[in-house]
Amino acid sequence: MRGAREARDLAGAALRSAARSPALPAIAGALVLTTIVMTLVGVDPAEAYPALIRGAVADGNLEYTIGAFVPTLGMALAFAIPFRTGEFNLGGDGQMALGAVAAAALALALPLPPGIAVVVPLAAAALTGALVAGVSAPLHTRLGIPAIVTTLLLSTPAVALASYLVRFPLAEPNTGIAETPVLPAAAHLPSIGDSGYVTVALPLILVLTLAWLYADTGTVLGYEIRATGANREFARYGGIDVDRLAIATLAGGGAFAGLVGGLIVLSPPYRLVDGALTSPGYTFTGVAAVLLAAGRPIGVPFTVALLTILQVGGQGMERDAGVPSQLTQVIQGLIIVIVAVTATMRHRPGRWRRLLPGRPAAPPVEAPDPPGGHVDTTRSGVSG
Amino acid sequence: MTFPPEPPAAELVGITKRFGTVLANDSVDLAIARGEIHAVVGENGAGKSTLMSVLFGLHRPDSGHVLRAGEPVRFRSPADAIAHGLGMVHQRFRLFPELTVAENVVIGAEPARGRLRRGVLDRAAARRRVEALSERYGLRVDPAARVGELPVGVRQRVEILKALHRGAEILILDEPTAVLTPGEAGRLFEVLRTVTATGASVVLVTHRLGEVLAAGDRVTVLRQGRVTGRFATAGTTADELVQAMIGRSLLSAAPARTERAPSAEYALEVRDLAVRDGDGVERLSGASFGVRAGEIVGIAGVAGSGQRELVDAVTGLRTGHSGAVRLLGADLGRATVRRRRELGIAYVPEDRHGRATAATMSVAENLLMGDHRDAGPRGRAGRLSKAVVRERARMLTERFSVRTASVDVPISALSGGNAQKTVLARELSRRTPVIVVEEPTQGVDVGAQEYIHALLAQARDRGQAVLLVSSELGELRALADRVLVMYGGRLVAEFPRGQASDEALGAAMTGGTA
Repeated sequence: MRGAREARDLAGAALRSAARSPALPAIAGALVLTTIVMTLVGVDPAEAYPALIRGAVADGNLEYTIGAFVPTLGMALAFAIPFRTGEFNLGGDGQMALGAVAAAALALALPLPPGIAVVVPLAAAALTGALVAGVSAPLHTRLGIPAIVTTLLLSTPAVALASYLVRFPLAEPNTGIAETPVLPAAAHLPSIGDSGYVTVALPLILVLTLAWLYADTGTVLGYEIRATGANREFARYGGIDVDRLAIATLAGGGAFAGLVGGLIVLSPPYRLVDGALTSPGYTFTGVAAVLLAAGRPIGVPFTVALLTILQVGGQGMERDAGVPSQLTQVIQGLIIVIVAVTATMRHRPGRWRRLLPGRPAAPPVEAPDPPGGHVDTTRSGVSG
Repeated sequence: MTFPPEPPAAELVGITKRFGTVLANDSVDLAIARGEIHAVVGENGAGKSTLMSVLFGLHRPDSGHVLRAGEPVRFRSPADAIAHGLGMVHQRFRLFPELTVAENVVIGAEPARGRLRRGVLDRAAARRRVEALSERYGLRVDPAARVGELPVGVRQRVEILKALHRGAEILILDEPTAVLTPGEAGRLFEVLRTVTATGASVVLVTHRLGEVLAAGDRVTVLRQGRVTGRFATAGTTADELVQAMIGRSLLSAAPARTERAPSAEYALEVRDLAVRDGDGVERLSGASFGVRAGEIVGIAGVAGSGQRELVDAVTGLRTGHSGAVRLLGADLGRATVRRRRELGIAYVPEDRHGRATAATMSVAENLLMGDHRDAGPRGRAGRLSKAVVRERARMLTERFSVRTASVDVPISALSGGNAQKTVLARELSRRTPVIVVEEPTQGVDVGAQEYIHALLAQARDRGQAVLLVSSELGELRALADRVLVMYGGRLVAEFPRGQASDEALGAAMTGGTA
């Protein structure tokens, strides 16, 4: 009963949110511009778009799409969770890579009974990701170095360390290939259906996403996180330990990144191949999806799905229609540019704003802050 | 008053401006004569800011037009307005704190060095210009000082100089005294007189009627987007202005004091409290006082005299102080903000946007802060029930007459008065033994001011101990049982109710002997 009502509420919120979201016009605009580009370079859009969709969902391609959807959604959460408190986690690559190493090392070293053999490496991966990301929190709260800087800078050495561990201590002996041996069968994620690409990772990540969405709106913790993101000083005033929340959400995001690393290792080809985690670019596709969702958590699974379809479908389009898959990168790039431009224009006055969708026409009657690039000195530290 | 035969310096004719369904200005006429100080008053939401935005080129009117010295003009942007000799000093300053006064003043019209080094700022010339300007208008500032290190009153002078440097002949000031002490406000009006003596005009947007009558030449009153009164200040009373502003007289000047004496025990007691800032400078020293249940203790002082530090140490927002804060006799020690709130200290901060609310969150969510751990369905810790949150918000907005379309709209959609009532609803409904209140009526219209004062008096009569920090001396006189004065981080004087005259307070606030 209660569950059904909540599901309905959630669906209703999703629809209302989508109707107001800047994502839809951005996607539409990007498609129009891409169509123009296609026409200019002599590609028939009537052929290219169906090939794109076919490439993503038809002829058994859906498995690949789902295979890419799972890690991308995970990496989107890795960014979105700390983003709700106003912290930027751009170090997903490093957290994911070290999480994968932890999972692979444990799975190879410990012969565990089935079931536990999957759970333990995944838990270790999440923990490792959380620790790697958690390092950035005290750097921010104690030393004042923004997480956006430290997560990004710590990512590169973390990826390099993972690479070293895969190439030397964990490498398959006597092959010279930068990969670990195949993990024992007990540590393989159970697959769903015939192919190995869709595994229990899909329901796992979906359940975790739903849990996050619920926590965001329906729990005290979610409220504290949103309040901190909306106005840190307000949250502090209300008795919220904002520093602890920053640590918790950064670690939470890192846990998701680490988990994604673990899930990838425990999926086909069931080994850690150096570079295989970071080269598909899940981390920044996830970041893009979260930005496209424009502050609406419920939109994240949908924007992730969209970007995944574009990426996987692009390869199908290249095969079927001979259209370079780079065109889908054009679409993605345009979407992000339009979202960014829209967001900027929202904060500017005058006639541009009237062109924008999704904002009721009535600003406060006492006009708030008139525009101007100048810094507001009354808010900046020094008082009288 | 005789009007010169020449056309007004600026004239707004039949200005109508609509935002969605809200009619912000409804065929408003306003003529600003050369050399006058023209006050524009009205409650929050009356349309003052919209009208000024039209005059300054920030908004284009739906109908009506603007005349500058008799010529029709069309401002597409503030840059157009500035080119036509208008200047605006916003309530929140637009200065670069890292730059010097001279650099800030010349921004947008910088003197450059000779032909070979075009595009290089001539700092010496900038200094000279600022010196000449401050000489001419009697606005004393050090051109080499860094703006971020200046007190608010001086920063405002920098803003005025900036407008004058751009050749402003009509200076629009939005609530200029909201951030000033009485002394600074007095000096501001002297400066404005010097400015108008040169033939320039000043438009003064304010809600402080005393100032309007003391400093203005003429007044235009707005209510609900329409002009409801035009007065020459000579021969006008504050009551006439209030009538025009809110459509009725105020009920009474001050909420009646019930004759129940406050209890003997201190609900809040502060002993030898001292606070150092990050650089080790003592911002608050040796503060000792107490507030009894059923008593309002006022704190007066020039901004930056240690009030913020005192309040932060009491509420727990600042740690690392020495001395003791006791609540109902128990030392709070190093208790966190959350613990202090739970033990019974409510707090209405001065900074409504920065601290008291989160602009993007809904009215309901803003009302929830601090109580959010108890808003779940019974027996399910950690959960938050939207229904409970909404219901609570509906009850509070009704009880504290917060006017809002729904509790789900962002609090930024509310007028200043209603946003402030929301904050008070949240803090007063907790019925804590102690409530700390900073500037409760800042940026709030007259009607809401009256209501807020009544709420504070009610809290006192209920037996709450109220610590009231305010720069409105009238407010302190009306509400406080005792007024303590802070100067340079110390409590320097105490006045019982009835003995806190403006002169005595003013002297103590500026370090003189009372």
